[in-house]
Amino acid sequence: MSIEIRAIGKRFGSFVALEDINLHIPSGELVALLGPSGCGKTTLLRIIAGMESADHGQVLFGGEEATHLPARDRKVGFVFQHYALFRHMSVFENVAFGLRVKPRRVRPTEAEIRRRVMELLDLVQLDWLADRYPSQLSGGQRQRIALARALAVEPRVLLLDEPFGALDTRVRKELRRWLRRLHDEMHISSVFVTHDQEEALEVADRVVVMNRGRIEQIGSPDEVYSAPASPFVYQFLGNVNVFHSRVHGAWAEIGRESPAAYASAEAMAFVRPHDIDIERQPVVGSLEARVQDVHLIGPLVRVELAHATELIEVELTRERAALLSLVRGQQVWLKPRQVRVFALPETTLEDEGSGI
Amino acid sequence: MPRPASGRRLLPGFGLSLGCTLVYLSLLILLPLAGLAFKASELSLAQWWAIATSERALASYRVTFGASLLAAMINAFFGLIVAWILVRYPFPGKRVVDSLVDLPFALPTAVAGITLATLYAGNGWIGRHLEPLGVKVAFTPLGIVVALTFIGLPFVVRTLQPVIEDIEPEIEEAAAMLGASRWQTFTRVLLPALFPALLTGFTLAFSRSIGEYGSVIFIAGNLPLISEITPLLIIAKLEQYDVVGATALAVVMLIISFVMLLAVNALQWWAASRLHRRSGSADERR
Repeated sequence: MSIEIRAIGKRFGSFVALEDINLHIPSGELVALLGPSGCGKTTLLRIIAGMESADHGQVLFGGEEATHLPARDRKVGFVFQHYALFRHMSVFENVAFGLRVKPRRVRPTEAEIRRRVMELLDLVQLDWLADRYPSQLSGGQRQRIALARALAVEPRVLLLDEPFGALDTRVRKELRRWLRRLHDEMHISSVFVTHDQEEALEVADRVVVMNRGRIEQIGSPDEVYSAPASPFVYQFLGNVNVFHSRVHGAWAEIGRESPAAYASAEAMAFVRPHDIDIERQPVVGSLEARVQDVHLIGPLVRVELAHATELIEVELTRERAALLSLVRGQQVWLKPRQVRVFALPETTLEDEGSGI
Repeated sequence: MPRPASGRRLLPGFGLSLGCTLVYLSLLILLPLAGLAFKASELSLAQWWAIATSERALASYRVTFGASLLAAMINAFFGLIVAWILVRYPFPGKRVVDSLVDLPFALPTAVAGITLATLYAGNGWIGRHLEPLGVKVAFTPLGIVVALTFIGLPFVVRTLQPVIEDIEPEIEEAAAMLGASRWQTFTRVLLPALFPALLTGFTLAFSRSIGEYGSVIFIAGNLPLISEITPLLIIAKLEQYDVVGATALAVVMLIISFVMLLAVNALQWWAASRLHRRSGSADERR
């Protein structure tokens, strides 16, 4: 079922949570709402779910007006960040809840409920936990039960609010791949909220990047990563710490790719840390810098360099780093491979935090 | 708690504090109760039974336990609403209302009794409007229920508040998203979670009511067989220097109270074990 958001706006007092949001989510797509905390992504999700009402604008499900439909009539599955399982019910009863509260004439028989619940528990690979209580499960298991519970009522749309936010990294990675597979099997539209860009890029068909109640960019994971529409998107998708240091006027003059028009102090250039080469000899269009620190981080080598007063981070492969054999205090030359210049400093960039 | 194999505990002072606890409880509770039983043993069983089952005594049990039960039930219902409002909704004057709940704790019971009697008497502010409707409150068993409701309220509210705070609003939202109506959410999700605490509050209010004396005697009218509570009957016997007779009634009160507390505790234990079945090791909260 497709979801259509038309001119949705929402304020909390004087705080503008959402401003004129328009979004179309085609049927069967898995969409990520990505943004820093406080950007309005959860509010948008809650408005789609019907738990929050918009000040103005419309929500349509499958082309049908649903703006004022109560949450319980929307046939929407919702997964909460902190699971929100019913503590006094067994796992089985948690999953069965949605079926048991149906009006008598449409309520399945006890045998049918049992079959459906076991089927769902099987789907989330936790059928052996049916008689346990939520407090006896691990975080990852709880979230899978929450998902099974949401799917029990056969929702038209599945909404997930930071579903993996409370889990540790390893479980999170495992679960998001599993969610992707599940989504492909279920053939429903899913929207999930996250502040983790890696999660959004890995799992989603499309990524909606939000900031301060507005949509900054909508696109495939590759589009938003390799062709960011705004400085914010550039900063948010990628290592932000690295990025901040890259906000540096000099780049615009040196990068040959940049149009002359931008080569003023107003322009800002962005380069990903892995889009910079380090040379031991000066080459055309290179910047002089001094090695400050070298960190080995898993498969990568992260080099911190000082260019004038700016701190610059560069990521190299281990092979490349070995070839250069960098030492602290060494004089090197940097050559950016790919530069992107934004000549729009009116929206001032700020450190939004990496979110992780 | 990790416990060293030697049997020495990690937390020191167990022996001393347990000793203190036992001595304190013995002096405060067990000794007087033993004295009571000792005094009552001056009576033969048949004599005791005769006093304990006299018409006036039986009537007073009915009034005491009936009114207490009714008051505790009223408090369980309204106390739940009050506690819910106080936890879930922000409103102006919330802190004032919150501290008002404690007033029955703090107010001398005699003051409460006199105030209630004045309010509900035939010429009082409230009694004046109830009397024409044929409802007499002051100096009837109904007055006793009013007084006991007044003193029992904080027990229910204060027991429920922390438990309600513990239920995330998300739980209700989750139920709604699964298609549950407000009523279904309440009966299937909230009430089961609140039930043990509600039962505790109910028990506390009930036990308090059984022993209540000060606030009741002013409003009850104290007519034998109609609106006389057992504690008053005990006082009456004491005033006639019938210490043994008073003790006999006291023992009856003690036994009934004890059995009821035991029963409610068992019920509570059962309800709690349903709620947290074998959850000892797993983390209950984040």
